[in-house]
Amino acid sequence: MAIGNDKEFKAALAGLAVAKQRQVASRFAQRVFDLSNDVRVKAALEVAGRPEISDAELTVVSAAANTARVESFTQCGKETDWTAQAGLFVAKAAVACVGSPAPGSNLAWDAAMQARMARTCQTVATGEGTENREAEEQYRILDAFLNQ
Amino acid sequence: MNEMQFLTWVRGTGLNIALGIFLLGVLWRLIEIYSLGRKKDLSAPRNVAGASGWNTMFRRSLPPKDMGMVKKSPVSYIGGYTFHIGLGIIVFLFAPHIKTIQGLTGLSWPSLPSQFVDLVAVVTIAAMVVVLVDRINKPVKRYLSTFEDWFTWLVTFLPVLTGWLAVRHLLLPYTTMLAVHILTVEILLVVLPFTKLFHAFTLWGSRYYNGAVNGHKGVAV
Amino acid sequence: MSATMEKGVRVLKEVMDAPIASYLNSCVHCGLCAEACLFYTETGDPKYTPIHKIEPLRRLYSQEYTLLGRLMKMVGLSKPLTDAELGEWQELVYNSCTLCGRCSVVCPVGNDIVYMVRKLREGMSASGNAPVGIKGAANRTVTIGSPMGVKLPAVKAQMKHVEEDYGIPIPMDQEGAEYMVMLSSMEIINFPEYLGAIAKIMQQAGKTWTLCSTAFEATNAGMQIGNSDLARLIVSRIVDGAERLKVKTVISPECGHAYTALRWEGANLIGRPFTFQVKHIIEVLGEFQKSGLLKTEGFETDRLTFHDPCQLARRGGVIQQQRDLMNQVSKNFVEMPDAGFINWCCGGGGGASAIEEGEELRLEAFKKKKSQLEAVKPDRLVTACANCRIVLEEGLEHYQMDIPVVGLTEMIAEHIPEKGA
Repeated sequence: MAIGNDKEFKAALAGLAVAKQRQVASRFAQRVFDLSNDVRVKAALEVAGRPEISDAELTVVSAAANTARVESFTQCGKETDWTAQAGLFVAKAAVACVGSPAPGSNLAWDAAMQARMARTCQTVATGEGTENREAEEQYRILDAFLNQ
Repeated sequence: MNEMQFLTWVRGTGLNIALGIFLLGVLWRLIEIYSLGRKKDLSAPRNVAGASGWNTMFRRSLPPKDMGMVKKSPVSYIGGYTFHIGLGIIVFLFAPHIKTIQGLTGLSWPSLPSQFVDLVAVVTIAAMVVVLVDRINKPVKRYLSTFEDWFTWLVTFLPVLTGWLAVRHLLLPYTTMLAVHILTVEILLVVLPFTKLFHAFTLWGSRYYNGAVNGHKGVAV
Repeated sequence: MSATMEKGVRVLKEVMDAPIASYLNSCVHCGLCAEACLFYTETGDPKYTPIHKIEPLRRLYSQEYTLLGRLMKMVGLSKPLTDAELGEWQELVYNSCTLCGRCSVVCPVGNDIVYMVRKLREGMSASGNAPVGIKGAANRTVTIGSPMGVKLPAVKAQMKHVEEDYGIPIPMDQEGAEYMVMLSSMEIINFPEYLGAIAKIMQQAGKTWTLCSTAFEATNAGMQIGNSDLARLIVSRIVDGAERLKVKTVISPECGHAYTALRWEGANLIGRPFTFQVKHIIEVLGEFQKSGLLKTEGFETDRLTFHDPCQLARRGGVIQQQRDLMNQVSKNFVEMPDAGFINWCCGGGGGASAIEEGEELRLEAFKKKKSQLEAVKPDRLVTACANCRIVLEEGLEHYQMDIPVVGLTEMIAEHIPEKGA
């Protein structure tokens, strides 16, 4: 049954084991990766996408992704470059992919949300406003992942 | 002019001139400063007990709570308290000074034993030397200091030193020493309203304003 | 003197009042203010002594408002202020001062030094001597309407994101709502979770609230740069919005200077008292807590400490509420040394974080915050100001300290059970 709304989407993600969540989360983030192009983010997404990951690897890419996140903040008072700001949310998505999940949290959902925010930044920057099809694309990705 | 004429002059004409300049100077400066006024604060106040201009006027005489300031600058606090309190005791609780004030205003009050005041004078002199040395040694104080800082230190120090020397009959013959002492006091009076020494009068207003602004926000400073 | 220098001098003359005159005449050069200022304590450079930062103000005051000073200027013993000098002072007045106010608390003669820095900024700005980083913010406020270039589409983007993530609708332009919620540019741009947290909290408390499409932003670059006209522009927008929507209370977000600008300077900028109340979100949460409207579940178990934003605590009078809120959701809340009213600044407030040339100095000043954290060794750091958050994260990153930073409102909201759960 195809996922058609966020309620179903969130529930389906919550039902996945952490390792699987990381994999699908990295796919959500990959869709918006071109809005960042940061090598640390790339490394994190690559690691998250693999079925077998060691804790040591996670720690390394996690730290690097966090640095990428901190570096992409816009300072108070500076002009906001929305294209660049998308990069912050891509980094946040990457951090969600490789972070240690707190009990009860849904890291894949977090990553999906951050990815959508990144897309929204891009469409705001290009003047297309807030309407975009990112959510629908994410449903498609999850469907494909669950059925593989 | 012989020593007696010198003493008579400083006790008479000199004192009149110095007091005149002092009183007019203080009045003028207070007007010059406070007539600028301040705008009313239209934001809604928070009323918290203990947070007000009046509270700060007195509370600020102590170091701020829990900030470790005395440890950071012990000479400023300990030396500062010592010489200020010392000056207060010497000026207002020494019998000959009270007599002088009585002669000018009619007011008088009990004095402290002269030997005690003598001890206070020595401690005050020592404290003043210590704060001077600190001003020379400490980078921040040295950086901030201008001619006025050294000058006002001297102008405040000399009356204490010369007064103590006079009482002890040291350095110069008594009549001359006393006359010099009174002269240094007159210089101090003339200089006070026009230098940082005027903080004696303005610190009350400053503390009040500071306390009021913060009290308006409910913060006791 | 150039046209802008003339304007600068005129503006400075206009800000002189009895308090400033009293302060300038009370200073005895004791240097205690330096010991309270993190830019001095962490660098050891006496030029960062707070009272020294306002030297141009002092000289102008002396030359224009004291008999002796005027005489000295006439005979050439005192030189008039020059544009070049103000340019030199830029670093001291902006890069090395976050308007944190610790200096004003320690001065033994009662000088409110931060007040004087704030006023000197008016002259600096009018004479064209404000830093490039903040000047841009000022220009954008005038031309775009937002210091950081945040426009309604961006807010709508956040609203959409939050509605999806939390499943709660975000009201906009609802007349008669009890609360009008403001956002800081920083939150709109960097921390969209804040809006979601508000939505959850308000829903649980059963309070009506709204955003305002013409006044969603609380960030006041005018206050930071020292341009009262600009500050007034931003405040007026908010006042118009609040009055149009007939709200009872305007909520200032997790941003320090926005609160100071609106709550304390706002009425004075527009020249009349407000017809509505202004509260910081932490104050509102505190009230909800006291009225039993904040029902949370569960506790954070890791070791938490709180960084008091200067403009909220020492300069704003909101000190206890954040502690009570922390204790509601944390079993292991420990105070850092010098917490609360006497907290040390993050080093990036007052526009400082927007000044690129000042970054090195800020990172050095951060050593003070670092020492506070090393003393308390928290697992995470909680605060209530979006700018503090970023400055803290950057500082921690620089010093390789692994301490995540979270916002208090967000943390509280995380403990509110899902509706219908």
